[in-house]
Amino acid sequence: MTGTQMDRRLLAILYLLSFVLLREWLLPVMALTDTDYLGLFLLFIAIVFVLALGRVKWWISVPVKFLYIMWAIQYIYLDEKFVSISRIGYLVEDLLSNVPMLMSGDWENITNPFRTLLFFSLLWMTTYLIRHWIEVRKSILLFYSMTVIFVATIDTFSPLSTDSSIFLIMVTGLLLLGLLFISKLAEKHNTPIPTAAFLTVSIPLLFFVILSGIFANVMPKQDPVWPDPVPYVKSFVQGTDGPGNGAGMMTSGYGTDDSQLGGSFEQDDTLVFEAKVAGKQYWKIETKNTYTTKGWEQLYPDQSETSYSSGMELVHDAQSDPEVLQHAGLQMDIDFPFIVYPYGLQKVNADANVEFLHSEATGKYRTEIDGRDDSLSAYEMEFVEPDYSLKALRETNMQDLQTLDSSFSQYLQLPDALPERVRELAVSITESQESVYDKAKAIERYFGRSGFVYAQQEIPIPDADEDYVDQFLFETKRGYCDNFSTSMVVMLRAIDIPARWVKGFAPGEYRMNDEGERVYQITNNEAHSWVEAYLPGIGWMPFEPTIGFTNLTDIDYDIELEANDPQAAERDEQNKPEEEQSKEPVEKAKSFDVKKYGSLFTSWLKKYIGWIVATILVIAFMVWSFYRSRVKWMPKFLLRTYRSEADDWDAFVKRYQSLLKQLDRAGLKRSAGMTLNDYAANVDAQFGGNQMSALTAAYEKGLYGANTTEHDWGYLKEMWEDLINRTSG
Amino acid sequence: MNHTEKINRILTNIDQVMIGKRDIAELCVTALLAGGHVLLEDVPGVGKTMMVKALAKSVGADFKRIQFTPDLLPSDVLGVSIYNPKAMEFEFRPGPIMGNIILADEINRTSPKTQSSLLEGMEEASITIDGVTMQIPQPFFVMATQNPIEYEGTYPLPEAQLDRFLFKLKMGYPTKTEEMEVLERAEKTVPIEQLKSVVSLEELIELQRAVTEVKVDDTIKSYIVDCVAQTRDNLYVYLGVSPRGSLALMKASQAFAMLKGRTYVVPDDVQYLAPFVFQHRMILTPEARYEGISTTEIVDRILMKVRVPVDKATLR
Repeated sequence: MTGTQMDRRLLAILYLLSFVLLREWLLPVMALTDTDYLGLFLLFIAIVFVLALGRVKWWISVPVKFLYIMWAIQYIYLDEKFVSISRIGYLVEDLLSNVPMLMSGDWENITNPFRTLLFFSLLWMTTYLIRHWIEVRKSILLFYSMTVIFVATIDTFSPLSTDSSIFLIMVTGLLLLGLLFISKLAEKHNTPIPTAAFLTVSIPLLFFVILSGIFANVMPKQDPVWPDPVPYVKSFVQGTDGPGNGAGMMTSGYGTDDSQLGGSFEQDDTLVFEAKVAGKQYWKIETKNTYTTKGWEQLYPDQSETSYSSGMELVHDAQSDPEVLQHAGLQMDIDFPFIVYPYGLQKVNADANVEFLHSEATGKYRTEIDGRDDSLSAYEMEFVEPDYSLKALRETNMQDLQTLDSSFSQYLQLPDALPERVRELAVSITESQESVYDKAKAIERYFGRSGFVYAQQEIPIPDADEDYVDQFLFETKRGYCDNFSTSMVVMLRAIDIPARWVKGFAPGEYRMNDEGERVYQITNNEAHSWVEAYLPGIGWMPFEPTIGFTNLTDIDYDIELEANDPQAAERDEQNKPEEEQSKEPVEKAKSFDVKKYGSLFTSWLKKYIGWIVATILVIAFMVWSFYRSRVKWMPKFLLRTYRSEADDWDAFVKRYQSLLKQLDRAGLKRSAGMTLNDYAANVDAQFGGNQMSALTAAYEKGLYGANTTEHDWGYLKEMWEDLINRTSG
Repeated sequence: MNHTEKINRILTNIDQVMIGKRDIAELCVTALLAGGHVLLEDVPGVGKTMMVKALAKSVGADFKRIQFTPDLLPSDVLGVSIYNPKAMEFEFRPGPIMGNIILADEINRTSPKTQSSLLEGMEEASITIDGVTMQIPQPFFVMATQNPIEYEGTYPLPEAQLDRFLFKLKMGYPTKTEEMEVLERAEKTVPIEQLKSVVSLEELIELQRAVTEVKVDDTIKSYIVDCVAQTRDNLYVYLGVSPRGSLALMKASQAFAMLKGRTYVVPDDVQYLAPFVFQHRMILTPEARYEGISTTEIVDRILMKVRVPVDKATLR
């Protein structure tokens, strides 16, 4: 048994044990990231280990693994058992489309197949690392302890319970450690262990580990001495008497009652509908106009509805360019007596004899068949994505809002109990902006820059004397879309910009259908709320204040952007602090310098952190491989360094000692008690010839015999060069 | 003719009668050049006498043999004063110790009193009888043999006495081909009688003097001291090597370096000679004996462990 070759049966057992450990990594990762197809990933790990066990050449095993990954991806996303060229084409196209997103750091929009590919690569690397630990290092303690820490962390800080895993991990890990230790001992003493002997040694190990494991498992256990850290951490973050309490759990999804917002909710990935559409769309259902300090209601109902039938041209804002008509085909899985629709809707086509009743006030299109509320299972829509001119948006001014008629008063409604600090905040956020659009944009951006956190758990419901928006803005700073959108609407209204609260669905994730078209899948998790603000001369325009969601509104940057323009700032985060700076009084400028550069640096860091880390990793890897391969390039360096040195004893000593080091790197180790003569004999046996012996004799003559002059320097240098060149071969 | 050539002639001469014992011959010559004595521990009949006779013949030295028996007296070794009635005075009859090269056979079979008479002479290179001190003629080389298989009625040499020997050697049995050659040669005349001296006693004394001039670098001295120190600081060793042992190792290394044709000592010399110098100078603990660890093994371990000086850095 040498360092690289272990008994294959033992190796098989070790791989099996590592497989069990790796599975314990995958299980929580899968559960937490909501990933399916655990079997496919496990199979991949198994394939890697089996290939390794079979000592398959890399030029076979790498393509095999790669093909498996491609097959798995297309199986997951195209749901086909067999590979076909055209599908692979789609897949490759899809994967390639991620490259620019990677370049621009647009992590959120990376498609799922690509994520899967990355995950597979991660698994690949992990298995490689484990093989290295087992076969070369013969030490798995690091991986073992990482597994234990990982599982313990998961158990403590996530809803998953890993009680059963711990037992499995402890036993598997200890067995791995023990078996590896035996083979390490064997290697150390350079003795191969016969299988029988190995069994004799391993049986007590198995016995002790399994027995003590079972014993520990069945014994009654004392309760933890330390309190569970999670409640402590939470109370620390939120304060012990946190506002409100997240009483009941809800699940995500569309509901009609929004009078009491807040509270945590659970993920629910039930499919609501599928939309065959070219790009991401926000799917709107309705708006609400009245904020009650606890939630939303639709008051002063304007009952007027306009009736349309299938295929009729709808009345729509003339904002859009009819050249770019788009189609969206929806397939409903959950029945709604209304339609969900994209912005810029122009026409709805449905098979049934359906009537669409459009409420001007809420924007809702109810569907009635024969005078009764009914739902459509499928319908098609024509729409033109609204396109806004930044120039026009910039020209919106607050004065124009004065001239709006009384029907807009419902969109300026605010409860009397609204705390004054909400208004003050709204004013302070927007006072430096001129146009209505910029003010709205300032509020939209505010959340992303002020330490707000997106979370679905532990969100309080406001108490009777608390305001939902106030609580979110000033106390918890934690919430989901309802918190963000409601707060933005309230703040917009606080500075007299008409705004309403929109309900609907976020764009969702897509998969490819058989024709290679994108089909977006919208589940209950995509239920969403956002903001519409009225811009004079423009109309109602959607805004997206929720952290983690992207505003999909198309804006033409048709004017020159100046440095202190928030729009420009949005495009280039680095300009942001300058913009703030320019508004500060001059005498304050100096004291703000540190802060300015600090935030400049932080925002730069945030933006490029991925690249920085990647670059550092790449450089580190390059340096490492360069260092690892030094046995190859070092001779050239040494030759260049020492060749030109004078022909005397000192130079010879340098050369000789550099040669010793180089030989050591080349794998010819000299133990402490080995004399140079014995070593030279070894070296000469390795490389042939007698250069090393001759060099050593000369070196010893100088070192031990103090004869540093009677040497043939030219001859010695020649032999040194010859030998040092051979070490790289 | 330089020193190494002379030494090589001695060795070649011995090779004519000794088969396959070049290493023992080298060590014996090394001891002779270093002015030390050799203790041979081996069974009878492996050529101990032949070796020492050949060595004596090669250097033209006076060879004496003392067969130690339990009833041997010190006077049988040193010599005795006998009254000469003709001259009306006591006349000293020198014992066998008054030779150049002496084979002390089965030294452990005689009484400690007689043993110490020989060993004192070895150390001092002089003997004192009836208040008269007499110099033993130079060169003076004793090869004592011990039979390791008989313990009944023997007096093992005490450790302090063993220290007087430079080397403790084992002849060992010849290999098959070597032994066949021994038989083959025995068919012809006994060659030992035909051996001629190849160097004179004066030349030998000159060689002994030249040995002291062989360069021992400070790094080598430090290496010797490190090795010796390790014997004193070893779990299995009850008594380590004395400073006399260090000195012996250095002298032997010098002689060996000259034998190998060098004017300076290298660590290889030290490593080669250390087992022969150390093994009779160490007393192992009972634990070592229970675990079956021999002195040779311990010396090997020490040599593996002690860092060989490969540059001047060890001195700093």
